[in-house]
Amino acid sequence: MTPIGIAQIVVFFAIVLAIAKPVGAFMFRVFEGQRTFLHPIFRPLEKLIYWICGVREDEEQSWIRYAASLISLSIFSFLLVYVIQRFQGHLPLNPMHFSTPNAPSFATRMTPDLAYNTAVSFMTNTNWQSYSPDTTMSYFTQMAALAVQNFVSAAVGIAVAVALIRGFARHTAKTIGNFWVDVTRCTIYILLPICILATLFFVWQGSIQNFKGPVTATTLEGAAQMIEQGPLASQEAIKMLGTNGGGFFNANSAHPYENPTPLANYVQMILIFSLAAGLTYMFGRAVGDTRQGWTIFAAMALMFLAGVFICYPSEQRGNPIVNKLGIDSSYTGIQPGGNMEGKEVRFGIAESALFATVTTDASCGAVNSMHDSFTPLGGLVPLFNIQTDEVIFGGVGAGFYSMLLYVIIAVFIGGLMVGRTPEYIGKKIEQKEVKMAIIAVIATSFVILGFTALSSVARFPANGYWNPAGAAAANIGNNVAHGFSEILYAYSSGAGNNGSAFAGINANTPWYNLTLGLDMLVGRFLFIIPALAIAGSLAKKKLIPTTSGTLPTTGGLFVALVIGTVIIVGALTYFPALSLGPIVEHFQMLSGKLF
Amino acid sequence: MIKELGPGLRLTIAFTILTGLIYPAVMTGVSEAIFPHQSNGSLIRVDGKVVGSSLIGQSFSRPEYFHPRPSSAGNGYDATQSGGSNLGPTSAKLILGATATDGKGKETVSFDGIEDRVVHYSVENGIPYESSIPLDHFRDAQGNLDDAKLIDAFHDPQNPLVFTPKVPIPSDAVTGSASGLDPDISPANAELQAARVAKARRASADQVKTLITKFTQRPDLGFLGEPRVNVLELNIALDRGFPVSKSQSARASAGHSELAR
Repeated sequence: MTPIGIAQIVVFFAIVLAIAKPVGAFMFRVFEGQRTFLHPIFRPLEKLIYWICGVREDEEQSWIRYAASLISLSIFSFLLVYVIQRFQGHLPLNPMHFSTPNAPSFATRMTPDLAYNTAVSFMTNTNWQSYSPDTTMSYFTQMAALAVQNFVSAAVGIAVAVALIRGFARHTAKTIGNFWVDVTRCTIYILLPICILATLFFVWQGSIQNFKGPVTATTLEGAAQMIEQGPLASQEAIKMLGTNGGGFFNANSAHPYENPTPLANYVQMILIFSLAAGLTYMFGRAVGDTRQGWTIFAAMALMFLAGVFICYPSEQRGNPIVNKLGIDSSYTGIQPGGNMEGKEVRFGIAESALFATVTTDASCGAVNSMHDSFTPLGGLVPLFNIQTDEVIFGGVGAGFYSMLLYVIIAVFIGGLMVGRTPEYIGKKIEQKEVKMAIIAVIATSFVILGFTALSSVARFPANGYWNPAGAAAANIGNNVAHGFSEILYAYSSGAGNNGSAFAGINANTPWYNLTLGLDMLVGRFLFIIPALAIAGSLAKKKLIPTTSGTLPTTGGLFVALVIGTVIIVGALTYFPALSLGPIVEHFQMLSGKLF
Repeated sequence: MIKELGPGLRLTIAFTILTGLIYPAVMTGVSEAIFPHQSNGSLIRVDGKVVGSSLIGQSFSRPEYFHPRPSSAGNGYDATQSGGSNLGPTSAKLILGATATDGKGKETVSFDGIEDRVVHYSVENGIPYESSIPLDHFRDAQGNLDDAKLIDAFHDPQNPLVFTPKVPIPSDAVTGSASGLDPDISPANAELQAARVAKARRASADQVKTLITKFTQRPDLGFLGEPRVNVLELNIALDRGFPVSKSQSARASAGHSELAR
C-alpha cells in the first residue's frame, strides 16, 4: 500500500460520511411529502404521473397491498423488458442491426432464455449480464428497457426500505405508506435530478452521449477500428446511483467511455454509496433518534474499511508467480506495480481495489477491473461482501432493509443473552419478525449453495439445448479451484442482486440463464416480502418505553453485536464453499502451482 | 391484487416514456450543445480523417510507435468486443500461454501469456536478459521468434525455458487491461520503449523522453488514479515532430518483422 493509495480510500470514506446527513435529510423530506427546493420544477410532473396512473396521493396501503402493488409493477416491468428485447430487430435505434438478418457476424443471438434472464436481472436490480452488450443490445433496448429498470428497480428498493422505516417509526397503525407514491417521489425528486447532473459530469469527463452509429477510424498503422457509440452517459448515471451496475459495454466501468478518468471513477463510487449512506441517517431521523442511524452507519463503515484494507494490499502485493518472472511488482510512482492483469492504468491498484469493494458492498455490480483476475484474497473480498447479503451500505434500499433484518436477528440474540424479550426502537421483536428475517437469510444461502452444487455436478447431453458444452462445469473459464469460484460467484452475485461476475464463466446457456434467473428472483422477493411483512407487523405494535433492562441499540457494543451477526451468519454459511474456492487457491498460488 | 394491475401497467409505461425516452433524449441534446467533442466520442482527426479516439486504445506494432498494453478485446483493441482475459492468478494459460493446432495441422498461438510477452518486450526494447536456452533456438528461417515454440518451451515439464530480464519490467507492459481498450501505459513503460522508438525515427532518446514527459498526465486533482501516458496522442505527436518517411518505415518493418506480431 502507498500513502497516496491510502489517501484515496480515506478521502473517499470522508466524503461518504459527510454526505450521509444532507442526503438523508433530503430523502426524509421527500418521503414525508414535505416541500423541497425541487418542488417548483417537479411537482407538476409528480401530479401528472398520479393522474396517469389513477393513484390517490393521500391514500395509504396495508403491507399486503403495498406488496401487491410492488409485485404488479415488477410483473409489467419484466414483461416490457422481455418484449422489447425480443422485438429489438423491428424497433428503431439499432445501428448495429442486432437481431436482424444484417447483424454482424460477431453478434449474440437474442434467445428467449437470454431475454428472460436479462428481464429478471434488470427488474430485480441485479443487472447480471449473460450477454455482452457490445454485441447484443440495440440503443433502444438499452435506454427504453434496461435503463428504465435501472430507475424503477432502484426506486422499488428504496420504497421497501422507506416502508420498513415507517414500520419502526409508526405505532398502532394499519398502513405503511403508498407504494405508487413512494416510487414516484423517489424517481422524480431523488434519482432523476442527481442523474441529470451526473450525466453532464460524465460527458464532461469523456463519456459519450449520442444516437450515432459506430465510427470507423483508420488507425495510424492503417488498420480499420470500429468504435461503437450510443446514449451511454445517461445510462451510466443511473447505473451507479441506482446501484444497478449493468454496463452499456461489456467491459462495464473499465471501458474508457463508461469511466474515462480517475475523477469520474471517484464520482461513480460516491454515487454508489450516497443513497445507501443517506438512508441510515433518514432512519435515525424518522425514528426520532439519529444515534440509531449512526450506529448502523458505523457497523457498515467498519466492515467496508476492513474489506478494502484486505483487498488493496492483496492486489498491491500481486501474484508471486508473475512477480518472479522479472516484473516490477512494487509501486514506483511511475508505474503501478502489483497485479495489473484485468486492471486499467488510469485507475491503478488502489482505485481498482476500492471500486471492487464498494461495488460488492453495495449491490451495484459495476466493475472497473476484472474480479476474475484478482489474487485469491483480493477476489475473496468481493465474494464475501456479496455473501453477507450486501448489507455494507448495500444496494439502494435493499442494503438497508437487509441490514435491518440482520439487526432484528442481532437484537433477538442479544435478548436471549440478557434473558428479556428483545426490543428495538421501542418495538417488541417477537416470533413473527424473527421468523421473517430468518426466511430471508436462509432462502438466499439455500439458492446460492444449492445451485452452485448443482452446476458443479450437473451433466447435459453435449450439443443439446440446456448446455451445449455438456457438463455445466465445462462452462468455466479457469480450472480447478478458481473455476469453482466462478460458479460460486455467479450464483452469489445473482441471489445477492449484485450482478458483477468472475466473468470467465460462459453463463449464456439455457441452464445458467434459467437457474440464475430463479436465483435472482429468490434473492429479491424473498427479502422484500418478509421485509414488508415485518413493516406491517411492527407498525401495528404499541410503543413501549425504554427501561433499564432494555438492551441499548446504540454505541460500540451494539455495533459489535451487529457485525458479529453479519459475519457469523455469512461466514458460517459459506465458509466450506469459500475453502474450496479462493482459500485453497491462495495456498496453490503461494506454492507456485499452475492449472 | 387485480386492483393493483392497472396502476402497475400505467406506471411502467409512464416511466418508460419519462426515463427511457425523454431523459436520454434531453441529455443527448444538452450534451451535444455543451460538450460536443466528448459526447461524440473524443475522436481525433488528422488531416480531416478520423484516426481514432483519445479514450480508446488501438494496436501498434511497428517499432517507430509506442506500443500499448496487451489486449483481450477481440483480436486486440477491437472496440466492438471490449473485455479482459478473465484468467485467474493460477492460470497456466495466463502465465505460460496456450497454443492450438489449426486445420492444416500447424501449431498456432491462441493466447500469448505473460512469459512470452516478457521475452518480446525485452528483445524489442533491448533489455538485457538471461535465458536458460539461447533464444536463437526459437527463431525461424527469417530470424523471427516462433511464439508457439516458445510457449511449448515454457510448458516443458522437464526442462522449462527460464527467461529473466535484468531490468524489472513494469507490470502494465505484460498484463492485459480490464477493457482491452486501455488508452494508457505507465510512464515507466513508455520510458523503456523510448530508445527503440528514437532509433526507428532517427531522433535522440532525449528528444523522445522529453515528449513522454510532455504527454504524461498527473493523477487527477493531484491524488486520484495513476500517472499515465496516452499512447495514441503520444504517437500522433511523434509523427508530427519526428516523421518517418515511407521507405524508412518499410525498412524498419522489414528489419524488425519479428516485432509485427
